[in-house]
Amino acid sequence: MSIVSFEGKNVALDHGESVLDGLIRHGYKIPVGCRSGLCHSCVMAMDEGEVQAVAQKGLTEAERSLNYFLSCQCKPFSPVQVRRVNMAGKQVSGTVVDKCWLSDTVIRLRFKAPLDYVPGQYVTLWKDEIVARSYSLASHPRFSDYLEVHIKHIPGGKFSPWVAEELAVGDTLGVQGPYGQCIYTAASAEQPVFLAAMGTGLAPIYGILNDAIVNRHRGPISLVVGASNPENFYLVEELNRLVEKNDQLDLHLVARESDRERFIVGDVYKYCRDRFFDLSGCRVFLCGAESFVRKMRKQCYLSGARMSDISADAFLPFGGK
Amino acid sequence: MSVYEKIGGEAAVDAAVDIFYRKVLMDERISEFFDTVDMDAQHAKQKAFLTMAFGGPNKYTGKDMREAHKHMKLTEDHFNAVAENLVATLNELSVPQEYIDEIVGIAVSVKDDVLNK
Repeated sequence: MSIVSFEGKNVALDHGESVLDGLIRHGYKIPVGCRSGLCHSCVMAMDEGEVQAVAQKGLTEAERSLNYFLSCQCKPFSPVQVRRVNMAGKQVSGTVVDKCWLSDTVIRLRFKAPLDYVPGQYVTLWKDEIVARSYSLASHPRFSDYLEVHIKHIPGGKFSPWVAEELAVGDTLGVQGPYGQCIYTAASAEQPVFLAAMGTGLAPIYGILNDAIVNRHRGPISLVVGASNPENFYLVEELNRLVEKNDQLDLHLVARESDRERFIVGDVYKYCRDRFFDLSGCRVFLCGAESFVRKMRKQCYLSGARMSDISADAFLPFGGK
Repeated sequence: MSVYEKIGGEAAVDAAVDIFYRKVLMDERISEFFDTVDMDAQHAKQKAFLTMAFGGPNKYTGKDMREAHKHMKLTEDHFNAVAENLVATLNELSVPQEYIDEIVGIAVSVKDDVLNK
């Protein structure tokens, strides 16, 4: 058990409890998002005590030197003294320019924000001072002056229903980031590229794909998109348009249950195993739910892709309490 | 000069680890011991193992080896399977036989610790 000294009070942490969870349990309002060390909404500063490396993973050099840390990842062994940092300074203001449903479950949100990013990176969006969520960017700065995210609607959630029902064109929201390393790079413009997405994993994959094309990637590019049923596919017209314009690109839409002729019926893992059995020398990008990314990553590696050639963006469910 | 230096140091380990880890993951005799949620961590462990087996700079001690493998209930067959995959990896990379012999020698030297004998 460890003691956290915060705003003049001492808070006792339970065994294995993070600073974030301990403070929230004691009634403090602390900004929180993914609880996985990715969204950077719960950043705090440590004035006394030892900052563990794991609690600073992904922070900038400057943030580290200021003893900033991710409070959700910090489980101290000895007493620490921490304070809030004003992350508002890390945010820019985004103005919603468009909102629409891409399918029964996915909302497309477009907003303008003064922020430089590389397609495939993600940003943390703030609903208010406490609730934040991370979303990957589907837009490409070359083609649009807005940022685009695909938000899966989760009934009963703290964020997506707010986007669906309340957030309107013209409204502003806090935008923080960008973060993430799952971006287009390749050993050469000829290297074969394999992209696989499940669900809204298509958002970053679409960004990465566009970036590969913008960078004149000439090697064969294969894109596999998986879904449980065909109603969940979205952006299909845009993807087909890309296929028409780019000879090196082929598209595979694989749905587990499908009665339409446009889609491949089957298990996406088996399909990839059979169709892409040799990925040696291939640059691989995987985005989607954590279980999908984990399974595909192993499969792609066993199919011959080098570990260092596999980039992945795994979406984590909100680890809320 | 250690084999590690002779075959090209860390670059050689990097080349070998992808092949070796893939082989053990596909080997049904031993894959269960290597299959994990955290592939990066396991990949790093295999890199440390190969660095040690190549006679490179490493922090392994016999005690660490013992501790790390204590609860796995490993048998001679498991050890041999790993050794086979190691040799196959080195063959695939066209490592000269004399170096392979030396590397296998180092691997065998930690056998008793690994099998907790």
